[in-house]
Amino acid sequence: MITRRGILGLLASATIPTSLNAKSLAGSEATDADQNLPELQKRLPRNPRILDLKSLGREPGLQGGRVRMLVGRQKDIRYVPIFSYSRLVGYNEQLEFVPDILESYTVEEGRIFTFKLRAGHRWSDGSELSSEDFRYYWDDVIQNRDYLRRGPPARLKVDGVIAKFEVLDSLTVRYSWDVPMPSFLSMLAAPIPQTLLLPSAYMRQFHGKYQTEAILKPLMEEYRVDSWVRLHRKMSRQNRPENPDLPTLEAWRPRTYPPAEQFVFERNPYFHRTDENGVQLPYIDELVLNVSSAGLIGAKTATGESDLQATALGLPDYTLIKEAEKRFPIKVVLWRETRGSTVALFPNLNCKDDDWRVLFQDVRMRRALSLAINRREINQVICYGLARESANTVLPESPLYKPEYSTAWADFDPAKANALLDEIGLEKRGANGIRYITDERQANITIESAGESTLETDVLELITDYFRQIGVALFIRNSQRDIFRSRVVGGDVLMSAFQGLDNGLPSADMPPLQLAPTSNDHLQWPVWGLHYLSGQTQGAPVDLPEVAILEKLLEDWLHTTSTAQRTRIWQEMLKIHADQVFSIGTVNSALHPVVRSNRLQNVPNEGLYGFEPMSYLGVYMPDTFWYKGEG
Amino acid sequence: MLRYIFTRIVTMIPTLLLISALVFIIIELPPGDYFESYVAELRSMGESADLEEIEILKERYGFDQPLYKRYFHWLGGLMVGDFGYSFEYRLPVNEVVGERLWLTILVSVVTIIFTWMVAFPIGIYSATHQYSWGDYGLSFLGMIGIAVPNFILALVMMYFANIWFGTSIGHLMDREYLNQPLSWDKFVSILEHLWIPVLIIGTAGTAGMVRRLRANLLDELKKQYVVTARAKGMAPGKLLRKYPLRMALNFFVSDIGSILPAVISGAEVTAIVLSLETTGPMLIKALQSQDMYLAGSFLMFLAFLTVIGVLVSDIALALLDPRIRFGAGRGE
Amino acid sequence: MNSPLPPPGAPLEHYVSGAPYDPNDVEADNKHVGPVANASQMRLMWWYFRQHRVAVFSGVIILVMYLSILICEFLAPYNLHTRNTEFIYAPPASVHFFRDGEFVGPYTYGQKMTLDMTNLKREYSDIPGDVQPIRFFCRGDSYKFWNIFESDVHLVCPAEGGHLFLFGTDRLGRDVLSRTIYGARISLTIGILGVTMSFILGIIIGGIAGYRGGLFDMIVQRITEVLQSIPSIPLWMALATIIPLTWSPLLVYVGITVILGLLDWTGLARAVRSKLLSLREEDYVVAAQLLGANGGRVIRKHMVPGFMSHLIASATLTVPGMILGETALSFLGIGLRPPITSWGILLTEAQSISIIALYPWLLLPVVPVIVVILAFNFLGDGLRDAADPYK
Repeated sequence: MITRRGILGLLASATIPTSLNAKSLAGSEATDADQNLPELQKRLPRNPRILDLKSLGREPGLQGGRVRMLVGRQKDIRYVPIFSYSRLVGYNEQLEFVPDILESYTVEEGRIFTFKLRAGHRWSDGSELSSEDFRYYWDDVIQNRDYLRRGPPARLKVDGVIAKFEVLDSLTVRYSWDVPMPSFLSMLAAPIPQTLLLPSAYMRQFHGKYQTEAILKPLMEEYRVDSWVRLHRKMSRQNRPENPDLPTLEAWRPRTYPPAEQFVFERNPYFHRTDENGVQLPYIDELVLNVSSAGLIGAKTATGESDLQATALGLPDYTLIKEAEKRFPIKVVLWRETRGSTVALFPNLNCKDDDWRVLFQDVRMRRALSLAINRREINQVICYGLARESANTVLPESPLYKPEYSTAWADFDPAKANALLDEIGLEKRGANGIRYITDERQANITIESAGESTLETDVLELITDYFRQIGVALFIRNSQRDIFRSRVVGGDVLMSAFQGLDNGLPSADMPPLQLAPTSNDHLQWPVWGLHYLSGQTQGAPVDLPEVAILEKLLEDWLHTTSTAQRTRIWQEMLKIHADQVFSIGTVNSALHPVVRSNRLQNVPNEGLYGFEPMSYLGVYMPDTFWYKGEG
Repeated sequence: MLRYIFTRIVTMIPTLLLISALVFIIIELPPGDYFESYVAELRSMGESADLEEIEILKERYGFDQPLYKRYFHWLGGLMVGDFGYSFEYRLPVNEVVGERLWLTILVSVVTIIFTWMVAFPIGIYSATHQYSWGDYGLSFLGMIGIAVPNFILALVMMYFANIWFGTSIGHLMDREYLNQPLSWDKFVSILEHLWIPVLIIGTAGTAGMVRRLRANLLDELKKQYVVTARAKGMAPGKLLRKYPLRMALNFFVSDIGSILPAVISGAEVTAIVLSLETTGPMLIKALQSQDMYLAGSFLMFLAFLTVIGVLVSDIALALLDPRIRFGAGRGE
Repeated sequence: MNSPLPPPGAPLEHYVSGAPYDPNDVEADNKHVGPVANASQMRLMWWYFRQHRVAVFSGVIILVMYLSILICEFLAPYNLHTRNTEFIYAPPASVHFFRDGEFVGPYTYGQKMTLDMTNLKREYSDIPGDVQPIRFFCRGDSYKFWNIFESDVHLVCPAEGGHLFLFGTDRLGRDVLSRTIYGARISLTIGILGVTMSFILGIIIGGIAGYRGGLFDMIVQRITEVLQSIPSIPLWMALATIIPLTWSPLLVYVGITVILGLLDWTGLARAVRSKLLSLREEDYVVAAQLLGANGGRVIRKHMVPGFMSHLIASATLTVPGMILGETALSFLGIGLRPPITSWGILLTEAQSISIIALYPWLLLPVVPVIVVILAFNFLGDGLRDAADPYK
């Protein structure tokens, strides 16, 4: 029967060009041509990495099961290689370096790194992993001027000199510099690591040097790129697993071609880790990532739609999920965040405003602002009093922690704050109680935030009241991330509010890049940071003595040869930060809910949640999570 | 008749062109462009932006070319079905959009049908029993539908549907059927989820339609020919069916033109809240991340849908009402 | 009078009275017709309007709401930003009137907050001994009335040292009722300002198009078609993202108003245009033109009054759309932003299912939204029915 609906639909669809129909592969799953896998012994390296779960306080388990997770955007499939955390060298829970993909490694004089691979270790498609894969990346990608027009990346250079790469044998490679390179290992253990190898057997077909023009051209057309470099780059992207055909060393490999609303990851049959009983990891057969709108993820988790959820949740979701435990087979635990401070204030030492710049560069001003904040109340409001009141510094769980870092200038002492401000010379106040910073100008600070979380706005509202008590008026302005950052660098922002230290859990062997001006991302000294980042071509040099000391200490660290040296440098830098209050922290170690199916074992009840250095769940080894009982 | 259809289609073209120009201006207006937000975002995720790649993309999509050239480039692409490139997804827009377009059409069409089915009996009852309790009561219910904001209704209904019926939160279908070809199960799943958005979007349109239908019918019922027929002894029921109802049908068809934009609009907000797989959620994400081609394509699609809808309703009206064909116009 | 016809050619017998003659006398006789027949257009409209009881009631409600904007500092028990971190997410207070069987006036009980550590939820329980009588015309938070006078008199306040959260509190311990009352200021005025803008635009553009016709008319017709074809909310969304985030909240407010008004004038313009087209041929218009009035004067003085009432009715019916539009945009996070408080922003805070499940009182700001929209709709209906009293 022809209905109006039919006609409408027909007309509408007829006018839509056919190419709008989704690419035939999109959302579909890759199938393995060869379903017959060789037996386990042939798939494991001869010397696999054996995880003794019992000694780690966990239970060895069984293979099987599927874990569903919810993500807010398609881009978030990048979480899978972060969770899987398969690295040449990785961190364990104590933040010590542990060889993972590598069988072993040696470091001589802090500058010569010799890596030994595991014999018999294969990529997820069965091809051999060997030093050729390292060589391919080094010679044909990093050193290839077609590929990287500006040459090898700066992070692999020390004093501007790139490492020397040698292949010692089919399982051993060596990277050496003339001077110590202390940050090399931490680059490899990072949540998003420095790539050093690619599956050369697979990637060769996309490389201009090894592949004929005739074959490259149709491939380039199919993938809508116009050079083999972009084709190669697109197909080799490891941190965003969009290419199911790319062999990987992670625990799960992607099976879904984007774009899709649901991404399936299957176990890697050639994964190099086993438990103490010889069962190959990962236990979980499949990871299924469902893309949903971020605002609904809390509610969906509370209705049992996720078997393992840590991202896209916040403390406000905890109550609902806890109550849902009675109705759905889930369990929620609380981990702690690893940021140096949940919300921190950053007076811009490089702002364009002359009066304020001088004031912010005066340490007494920063100390006064810090003393005015009632951290206990903030703790009550945003975390039920369960977070830690602290300056913006490292967490107690870090080996570098000292209590004086966290308590420095972090008491609630408005009297002292007022005294300090009077001391600077700002005694004069107006009729509204706000101090005058010059004859005509009052102490009105507009503080900007990236406007992404109501949490920041809430804390800022509380702080507005506290500052009023010491005669400073605060005006909150919400911006948007990119505009916010460009304004900060431009010096148009007096003070900003953002999360504190990215990595609140450093060990001495991680480079203290956050503590010195190294990037225009640093909200308290973006121009000095830009100076460093651009190789002294942009921005301006540091002109505050204490910050110059920090710069020098960072340089020293980059030339250290021992952990003891590095620890000393870290302590000095942390001490300077505590003393100088370059950023004003409020609370840290806030609680973060982690939800799991109540049958999922080996998920720690307590943990530290953060991108750096724990790679969210990565360091806790999700490949050792398993399902107990009937599904 | 054909002449009428032809003229309508021809006048549609400049309208569409104007719409495309307007949409293009709108998507070019926001300060900054995708690349800035992309770089900032990558930095925050710990990846370093591959500045080279960005340069190349900029070049390729002509971001260094003047505005009018970009416009014609985009317009030309639209004609052949190339909707541009989505920077957020790193894929051409066509591939990103997928099922969303036809699902948007589905939701809109089902909502309009729902609106008809509900407004029809209510409108007739209201007109024939003017000022009765039923009339006031139904009007009031309709008003509630207009007055409560869609998104609040969506949230509350989503919550209660989950508690009472166990419907999964949001979306248009259960997870298993995503990206699967249309099957009976998938269809059933869609129906199970569809009623919430349709109900929400439909209530506002229904109330308006009821009011207009009632007004129209009342006007008709006062006309001379009705009085004559009654005087001649025709039964009221038969009278109602034979004459004023035909007018009412006219009205339904012509009313698509006025409710279609509202339906599509309302559908967008509801879709965002309920995370439906239609254009809404993707549109707002694209607007917020300044993924301009994606946003522009959606806006064009929605406008296009509206224009086509109105065109179809005009043609249908012309088929039904000879007066239109001969130039009397739609009549306000 | 039965008089036979006179013979052909002879004059008709007739009688002319010598009494003074007043033309209005005839009508004055019919007393029951008098007032109606003599009434001006305005009066007639008012009488018609009055019959529509619901519309009158709605009109009163709207008037009250707009007047309340002027004194919202007085009406609200607390200030806009007053915070009580001891009472985060407190549920709405229950007001009691009787105590031990006697009527004692309204009072609430003091509340105690305990933190449920397993669920991390704040539980509030009444303290039976702590009776807090509600005061009226009392002194509470101090505020600046119209930013000029310092005052601290409120209509309703809690007992001394007590608290009164009739709509509960939000996540910072702010009283939802007070914020709703303050929010009316922004939400209601945006609606009116937006409609005023589109009203003016509609009349001007539609007027010229209708009066002049020709090329201008055609262009305007195309433009209105275009604007009516693009669904409003996606267009508003797109335009709202254009507003630079660096603008001050006030500028953002103005920007949103402009955006809302900019897209809604088409309906009015079309109505004006078609009315003008039909009225253009009326005799009185031709007469005015012949007497030398220029176009503007003709439109203003002669044509517009004829359908002004229709326009007002239409405009009234557009206000709800604007209010909903602002609410939707703010809810989606692309309209107004905190620290401005509008009903839309208040509802944003109730956006998650968690909130609906655990703290549903945060949805209460939707009640005034519903009331205002209903009121405007009824009012508009009433106005429209009354608009053409000569029908």
